[in-house]
Amino acid sequence: MTLSDERPDPDALLESIESGQKKTGGKLKIFFGYAAGVGKTYAMLEEARERLDGGIDVVAGYIEPHARPDTAALARDIPSLPQKIIQYRNIQLFEFDIDAALLRKPALILVDELAHENAQGSRNGKRYQDVEELLQAGIDVWATMNVQHVESLNGVVRRITGITVRETVPDYIIDQADKVKLVDIDPEELLKRFAEGKVYGKDRVTVARRNFFTSGNLSSLREIAMRKAADRVSRDIEREKKPAPEKILVCIGPSPSSASCIRAAARMADAWHAPWIAVTVLQGDESDGVRENTALALRLGAKLVSLQGSDIAFAISEYAKLTGVTNLVIGKRKRHDAFRNLLRPEFADKLAFLLPDVEVHIIPDQLTGSRYRKRKFLQPAGRPDFRLSPRHAFISLAIIAFATLFSYALRAANIGDHNIIMVYILGVLVISRYTEGYLYGAVSSVLAVLSFNFFFTEPYFTFNAIDPRYPVTFFIMFLVSLITSAMTVRIKEQVVASVQRERRTEMLYDINRKLLAAYDIAGITQVIEDHLSAVFSTDAILYAADPANAQFARTDGKKNLCENEKSVVQWVFANGKAAGIGTGTLSLVPAFYMPVSGREGVIGVIGLSCEKGKRLSHENTVFLGTLASLAALAIERQSLSDRQHVMELESEKEKMRYDFLRGISHDLRTPLTAILGASSVLLENGEALDGDARYLFASDIKCDAQWLMRMVENILSVTKISDGSMRIAKKNEAVEEVVAEAVSLVKTHFSGIRLNVSIPADLLMIPMDGTLIEQVLINLIENAAKYAGVSPAIELRVTVDAHNAVFAVTDEGTGIPEEELPRIFDGPVSGDKKTGDGSRGLGIGLMICASIIKAHGGTISARNREGHGAEIRFTLPRGQGITDGKQDAGSDSRG
Amino acid sequence: MENKTLVLIVEDENPICHFMSTALKANGYRVVSTGKGLEIPALVSSHCPDIVLLDLGLPDIDGIDALQALREWSDVPVVVVSARNGEREKVAALDHGADDYVTKPFGTAELLARIRTAIRHSKARQGTDASTGETVFTIGGLCVDTEKMIISVDGAEVHFTPIEYRLLELLARNRGRVLTHDLIMKKIWGPWFTDNQTLRVNMANIRRKLEKNPAEPRYIRTEIGVGYRMVEE
Repeated sequence: MTLSDERPDPDALLESIESGQKKTGGKLKIFFGYAAGVGKTYAMLEEARERLDGGIDVVAGYIEPHARPDTAALARDIPSLPQKIIQYRNIQLFEFDIDAALLRKPALILVDELAHENAQGSRNGKRYQDVEELLQAGIDVWATMNVQHVESLNGVVRRITGITVRETVPDYIIDQADKVKLVDIDPEELLKRFAEGKVYGKDRVTVARRNFFTSGNLSSLREIAMRKAADRVSRDIEREKKPAPEKILVCIGPSPSSASCIRAAARMADAWHAPWIAVTVLQGDESDGVRENTALALRLGAKLVSLQGSDIAFAISEYAKLTGVTNLVIGKRKRHDAFRNLLRPEFADKLAFLLPDVEVHIIPDQLTGSRYRKRKFLQPAGRPDFRLSPRHAFISLAIIAFATLFSYALRAANIGDHNIIMVYILGVLVISRYTEGYLYGAVSSVLAVLSFNFFFTEPYFTFNAIDPRYPVTFFIMFLVSLITSAMTVRIKEQVVASVQRERRTEMLYDINRKLLAAYDIAGITQVIEDHLSAVFSTDAILYAADPANAQFARTDGKKNLCENEKSVVQWVFANGKAAGIGTGTLSLVPAFYMPVSGREGVIGVIGLSCEKGKRLSHENTVFLGTLASLAALAIERQSLSDRQHVMELESEKEKMRYDFLRGISHDLRTPLTAILGASSVLLENGEALDGDARYLFASDIKCDAQWLMRMVENILSVTKISDGSMRIAKKNEAVEEVVAEAVSLVKTHFSGIRLNVSIPADLLMIPMDGTLIEQVLINLIENAAKYAGVSPAIELRVTVDAHNAVFAVTDEGTGIPEEELPRIFDGPVSGDKKTGDGSRGLGIGLMICASIIKAHGGTISARNREGHGAEIRFTLPRGQGITDGKQDAGSDSRG
Repeated sequence: MENKTLVLIVEDENPICHFMSTALKANGYRVVSTGKGLEIPALVSSHCPDIVLLDLGLPDIDGIDALQALREWSDVPVVVVSARNGEREKVAALDHGADDYVTKPFGTAELLARIRTAIRHSKARQGTDASTGETVFTIGGLCVDTEKMIISVDGAEVHFTPIEYRLLELLARNRGRVLTHDLIMKKIWGPWFTDNQTLRVNMANIRRKLEKNPAEPRYIRTEIGVGYRMVEE
């Protein structure tokens, strides 16, 4: 298990890919100073005015109202946005108006005090988040900030000045800034300004501020600020170079002192340009302390990992070995109780033992810790589940009582003594197995020792023990039962945790399987929403499309998670960041929204309702993220296959068009030849013919012309459907009217036809394009007339079932040749062999019927009737049927 | 036919114009023809035709516009002749004052029937025909007596609801002509009524009382997407 040089490859690769994504947003320039009053705002305004004079669209988004007259005068020269007024507990707060800025969309915007914390009720919790939004929108931003507001330097600044700064800006903001300009002034000069009241105004100089503005403090801060700026410069130079093969891991606990470890690790990582990981080892539920610290680590740019296990050191060492960590940062508290040290070896020592190749950095606890310790004592393992359960208490007492009775029996049988202790320890073990938490085991251990003392040591029925050996016995017995019970409980917890993990893994597997089976976006949405609801037992929602086009009023009976869901989802979609509870954005919304990111940016948004303002734990957030990536994969796969489907449909249509044109030009040539021939005979040899012959020729011409006319009407129908996307204008039409028209038209063409028509007794209205369906009926009846022989007896029957109107045209002719049945609706190309005019136009007519019915969302099929004749039937959906023509209507003809 | 009805044909395709005028002359009509829509006003005012056959696809002016311009000052019956078989164009032409339409291609019999109907209705309007004040309409076996408000089919009286009766009377008065859905609804239910469905249901009821087989109607024909027409004979 030696750590070689090629260690951190997979992660390094991933990170280089991530950072390789070019950002297209605006550029950030930070005016960086070491204290208030160094002239950051002045410098920014001055430079901005130069830009303004240069014709650039500069707008002051927010400038702190300063007492300094020269700054205020400068600010007046630059057009500014009106500030948003927020009413907060009878105070009017003036805030930067992000929406106005986005609407105004200047080329460059000035935002003072980057570290500012927005008033409650603002969209973003912090001003730097506003700035991020501006950058995302492609607006350049200039901002000011002081060194004490840098997140990673927070602890250092506190050590130097003794002042805790609450408003901080995460380091990545500064790292990702395009430029950082250091605004510097000699500390002596600054002190002079301070004394003159130029920094704060004489009335606003508090004691704290006076304590802050000392020569020593300012010099130190100045040094830190300069170093930070210099660091950035050197990194800019080194960016091209390969980063050192270091990897830092920091352990996060619930204690506030963990924060200093995290900051130390962040500084270290920054200095070495190394990746760093923050690890939490969960034992049961996540406490608030851990959550705060993980949030801090995230802000500072750590990768978060949470491990499960009772042995923290072992879990961490295993993870460190696996991922190739080179440096480990841990905190250390001074322990006063030697007793506990005896039980557990020093954490750092253990880690050092387990990871001989890793450098372990120990950060001492800077807090006195008394406050925290007390809390820790009251809530062991950070779990508040300390309620007494009568049932468990009864179980414990009963088992102790039973152990006592059994011990009596043993003693009566004269095999007591040592066995009695064993019986009690067994009892404690059983208690730990069947009760929850450490309490019952621990109390039972005490009880076991006491009852052993009371019942089985001389003098009996007193708590006195004469024999000097007994105290040792008691002590060892107590220890053994305590450790046994603690270990049992721990094993139980691990089982529970592993079962939970198992369940999640299974769930992920299940989701994956179901997503593979889902065949449309709605199905994917359903699967994800169902599982989310099941896992988090709360309402969940997935928007699998650009929210600009999505439907926000839910039609499936589900409620939106919050009132202004639309705007939240749109924000998340546009910014690609989570919003809602527990995030810095729109944190008053009672739900959590997470972007679903695909290869080409955000492709959806997952929303999860969080009732009673409960935040998601880190583990749940990670799980949600996993689900989101599963959803992203599924959605992308779906949209890809959709696109492919459209393309296939397109090419199929293209082929159909080609076939149609080929068929039609052949079919048109035949009657045209006859007409041309007959008319030229009439013209050239008219005199030589007698009246009958002339009449015959004229009626031939008329007949062929009529055929051509019907053909043209068919072609017109086709243009109606193939225009655009096979969509037709459907209106409710009375079936009997359409049928009647078709029948009367056919009768004028074929006078000898015997047609039997039956329709439902009640008026039947079906959504359709009336003229197209009329065309279908005409084609089918004419087709039947052709097959039916000399004296065609044709039946047209319309019936209804629950979903469809069924039209059936039957004849009593010779039927359709079996080998043609499957291809009867495919058009004339398939039947190239037969070019005689006996069947001319037939293929085209039926093909047109099929495409019209398909466009209506119905089906068409042909079969030979038992005995004699053929039947062609088609259906039209009764309701608002689909019109996208997805159904393969033609294939029905086989069945 | 001794009165020699004068027909103005507005049609730019020579073969069609030729065939129509030949057929009309053979049936005792006088014919004036032009290929230009802009000449319509001059020809109508100078010749005072009894009827105009108007092709909608003219080269110089849109047929619908020509119709609209003509209707501003003349009540001469107009039968539209159009190659377009879109229902929307037909309805538009009827809405803009056309009396009827024939769709290309058509036979001479159909054309003559339309001309006869249009002239008869226009004369009824002007009160120059004996049919003014006609109270009993007989179409085949159907008899609508508007005075007694009685309708009988093949001699047997059939009961109709008031709405159905008014529908039938309207169709009977305009027999041979196509009436658009909108026009029927306006006449029966008033100008703000737009529920097509109600009209369909009433027509279906009438059909069931009137016809032996509603799928093969003898009296009322449907013009899909346009309206209804009661046959003449």
